[in-house]
Amino acid sequence: MMKLSRFAYLALSALTAIVFILLYGPLLVPIASSFFEVAHGNVQWDMPSLSAYAALVHNEGIITAFLNTLIVGFCATFLSVVLGILFAIHYRNGTSPGRELMQFVIFLPFLMPPIMIGLALLIFFRETDISRSLLTVIIGHTVFVLALAYRTIVVRLKSLSASFIEASYDLGASSWQTFFYVVLPSLKSALSGSAVLCFALSFDETMITILVTGTDNTLPIRLWAMMRLGFTPDINALVALILALTTAMCILAVRYLLPTESADNAA
Amino acid sequence: MLLVGDQQARGWRFALSTLANGLPFVFIIAPLLSFVVYSFFWVEGGQMHFDLTLRNYTRFFTDAIFVPVLWQTCLLCLMVAVFAVLLGYPVAFLLATLSGRRKYMLLMLVLVPLLMSYIIKIYAIRSILGGNGFLNRFLLWAQLIDQPLTIFVFNLNAVLLTLTMLLIPFAILPIFLSLERIPKSLIEASIDLGASNWQTFCRVILPLSLPGVVTAASFVFVLAIGDFLTPQMVGGPSGFTFGRIIYSQFGSAFNWPFGAALSVILALVMIVVIALGNRFERRT
Repeated sequence: MMKLSRFAYLALSALTAIVFILLYGPLLVPIASSFFEVAHGNVQWDMPSLSAYAALVHNEGIITAFLNTLIVGFCATFLSVVLGILFAIHYRNGTSPGRELMQFVIFLPFLMPPIMIGLALLIFFRETDISRSLLTVIIGHTVFVLALAYRTIVVRLKSLSASFIEASYDLGASSWQTFFYVVLPSLKSALSGSAVLCFALSFDETMITILVTGTDNTLPIRLWAMMRLGFTPDINALVALILALTTAMCILAVRYLLPTESADNAA
Repeated sequence: MLLVGDQQARGWRFALSTLANGLPFVFIIAPLLSFVVYSFFWVEGGQMHFDLTLRNYTRFFTDAIFVPVLWQTCLLCLMVAVFAVLLGYPVAFLLATLSGRRKYMLLMLVLVPLLMSYIIKIYAIRSILGGNGFLNRFLLWAQLIDQPLTIFVFNLNAVLLTLTMLLIPFAILPIFLSLERIPKSLIEASIDLGASNWQTFCRVILPLSLPGVVTAASFVFVLAIGDFLTPQMVGGPSGFTFGRIIYSQFGSAFNWPFGAALSVILALVMIVVIALGNRFERRT
């Protein structure tokens, strides 16, 4: 890119600052108000308190929803990573139109609008008489985040030179030994990075969940229900906590993905 | 094992390929197919009829509500796309001119909101725009207005603003990528030939980044038109969008086949938009 004049640089920075205010500004309001007393639907800015957080602890619906979210998140992440490895190995094993088609189908739910994949799954579960529960939510999330896990793993697996595997066989290792001592370690950063990303996506997934869930709520669905009823102080506290958690997960994901990216650039 | 080069593991490899082809078929293809088939069923008096008709589709075209709402939603999403691109372009440009650590940091800051809860962002924006919200409070305090404004909440303006704020990152990325792909030599040549920075931008950089702009716009459009949570949350009674109508068929109206048909129509609109975007991208 060209060298910018001082004026152009300042103007661009100012516009960028506006965009960042739009992106992050709204999030600050509930976080800030969670630390103050709320009366008659108004935040009392002169009365700092932690009562919103105290109310949260006594809200059992939220705690169950949080546990449900964790269960769904862990199951969906585990399934996606395991299936991601299996599918990536299958894809690498040869070339045929079937494999390309499989890859395309895996990416479909990620590319399609969530409302459609959610409705498709809803109809599918009804037709196959699978009653809506946490299990259907886990399936929905897995279908959605699998694309991400698969993509990260297949890219790394492709960059793994075949001579490593051949060397391992030549040195007398069995197939499983090769898998556990050669393939899996080289996938390590891809696996941990994609696991964190999958969990973060599953943690926040709303549009598919709202369609395929039964009576069990996950946290976003619970939030959605609370927000429709109106403005209660514990929503702000919950929002602040979730944002803190998501931010932590983002930082984790970045830390895992960062070294791989700089390695890719160097190569 | 499962890897190339091992001849003994025929059985394992067969199992693997069954799994790799079977699971996506069962959990992705089959639901999508049943979804399309459903759109040809019909419901009357709460009773579902399982014979294939085009009834749902004719209802879409003949009923006076649906086509105008779809059209209105398309216009709304087009405006969202335009706003998101206008706001996103300067950020993408700044990103492209930076280098090293600062570029990486800024890119991260653009990406992080994507991982944050959609529903929380909608809620946060709503609590700012609302009658009792931060924006009105601020304007009252600054004495720019003396009555809280209601033009920003529970109508289509609110949906427009909220969607734009949510989708800006999706506009920034494609534009940034297309700016990165412009060969340095072209820009240097333009400067060497005596063009000012501004001329270089207008005559070289902007035209070459247009494919990215179109991709960004079609991206944002498709995401906006598929969203039903935002209009439901900030749209109020007047902010009715196509996504909400679809959602209501699965909730209160309880007409799944009709909802499926409407979604198929929505999918067709999206495919057309993406195809138009791709076509434009190829030509330039």
